[in-house]
Amino acid sequence: MKNNTQKTSPSLIARLLSPIHQGQQLIASFHDLWRTPMASLMTILVLGISLALPATLHLFSKNAERVSAQWQTAAEISVFLKMSVTEASAQNLVQRIKLYPQVQQVRYISADDAMDQFKKLSGFGNALSYLDTNPLPITLLVTPTQRHSQPMAAKALLEKIQGEREVEQGKLDVEWLTRLEAIMVLIKDIVFALAALLSFSVVLIIGNTIRLAILNQKDAIAVMKLVGATDGFIQRPYLFTGFWYGVLGGLLASATVSVLGRYLGLAISSLAELYENQFSMQGLNLQELGVLLSIAVFLGLLGSYISVRKHIRSIEPNAD
Amino acid sequence: MIDFKNVNKTYPGGFHALKNINFSLQAGEMAFLTGHSGAGKSTLLKLITLMEKPTSGQVIINNSDLSKVSYSQVPYIRRNIGMIFQNHNLLMDRTVFDNVALPLVIEGLTPRQIRKRVEAALDKVGLSSKLKCYPYMLSGGEQQRVGIARAIVNKPPIILADEPTGNLDPKLSLDIIQLFEDFNAVGVCVLIATHDLGLIARMKYRNLTLTQGKMITDGLAVTEANE
Repeated sequence: MKNNTQKTSPSLIARLLSPIHQGQQLIASFHDLWRTPMASLMTILVLGISLALPATLHLFSKNAERVSAQWQTAAEISVFLKMSVTEASAQNLVQRIKLYPQVQQVRYISADDAMDQFKKLSGFGNALSYLDTNPLPITLLVTPTQRHSQPMAAKALLEKIQGEREVEQGKLDVEWLTRLEAIMVLIKDIVFALAALLSFSVVLIIGNTIRLAILNQKDAIAVMKLVGATDGFIQRPYLFTGFWYGVLGGLLASATVSVLGRYLGLAISSLAELYENQFSMQGLNLQELGVLLSIAVFLGLLGSYISVRKHIRSIEPNAD
Repeated sequence: MIDFKNVNKTYPGGFHALKNINFSLQAGEMAFLTGHSGAGKSTLLKLITLMEKPTSGQVIINNSDLSKVSYSQVPYIRRNIGMIFQNHNLLMDRTVFDNVALPLVIEGLTPRQIRKRVEAALDKVGLSSKLKCYPYMLSGGEQQRVGIARAIVNKPPIILADEPTGNLDPKLSLDIIQLFEDFNAVGVCVLIATHDLGLIARMKYRNLTLTQGKMITDGLAVTEANE
């Protein structure tokens, strides 16, 4: 016979041992998944595919960024000097600009060279020889360092160069660079929005799967409550199930992205070869795979937690 | 141990299931709760196990006023009450061992302690050999005894039984009642709801009788008269 004091909390020993019990339950709940193989498989597939989609888009935008980084190094600033500037002071300016920390290289094009080039490229040919004087100014082609080749930094550099007194006008063709950057931002936004939407649906799907599992066990849950089980005790196996859905769905998504990435990589490198460009597709690195897996586990836990909170409390034992 | 003070229970819809119930059961007491179907026996048991709340009045179990028990405290109150049902309420997909072990698993005992106490409880109800069976392999009487083993395995100070002999023949019924007598002998407070008046007539235990939600006798006067 137990004395009249109430058992309001587990003993110290039970508390110390509870992590071990929970570890055992975690493994047991993994086996529970195979009690309903089809339902579990479906949930894991949905989770895997839902996460693989934004992950693949991320892979795409990451690689596109690398490609556009290659293009951006080609950005050049054309600097047109005032007509009055002599060759000597122009050379002086070249030396000064070369000292800018943002500048990688400066090419000097004399007025005559510019004229020759213009004759060749413009197609006016001999018509230009009727001109009395050379109307073209001395031109400098300034290549910024890689760090300063982004549109905003390049623009700042342009303004600095325009501040030099010998300079009439500087020109940076940043329009297409800004457009490209805007497109990259757009793609990233799309990836993010898509990921958010799909994550939401993953939470709903897991929540619903767990809800069905709970309703399936409704009688058992009522009995457990009747013999004194706390909600926490009843919830735990369902949270573990959500955890496993997350782990398996995350692994599936990782595998899918890896396979897709390799498949697309082959096609892209053969395309790059046609452009005489050495480019190899980069897959997800370990850190990104870790993030993907963590997100999957988090979504699995979140979905099951929401479901468990809502449904387990509503089940009440009934003696009838 | 069990105290009812001016307890009323009205179900939504206006059915007045219990009317001003007053009684008190001491620790170590054994009593029967009788009355026709619909007299309020089940409602009374539900109030004790916190499945229902009284509309008015006080129910005090083991010194806890149930109206002051929060949702999160309910499980801990229930652990002090071994409940036995007419329909057994066993988990059909778990073995007899797992069913009986459930209250101990919930309390977080070690596997070794659990094994020891489950075996002792099953031995007490005479089902040691059915440890690994599933409930559907057992007869009605055996299932009932599994339910009893589960109710006593964590040694609660109170045992409630709702029609524990409902579907059993007289011989088996007597066996079951004798089990309850054994528990009572070691100091457990036992309350058995039944309409099997023939069974009660053979025993001299306190008898609480309900008729249409009213307690027409709390058995105390009768016991005194017998003595």
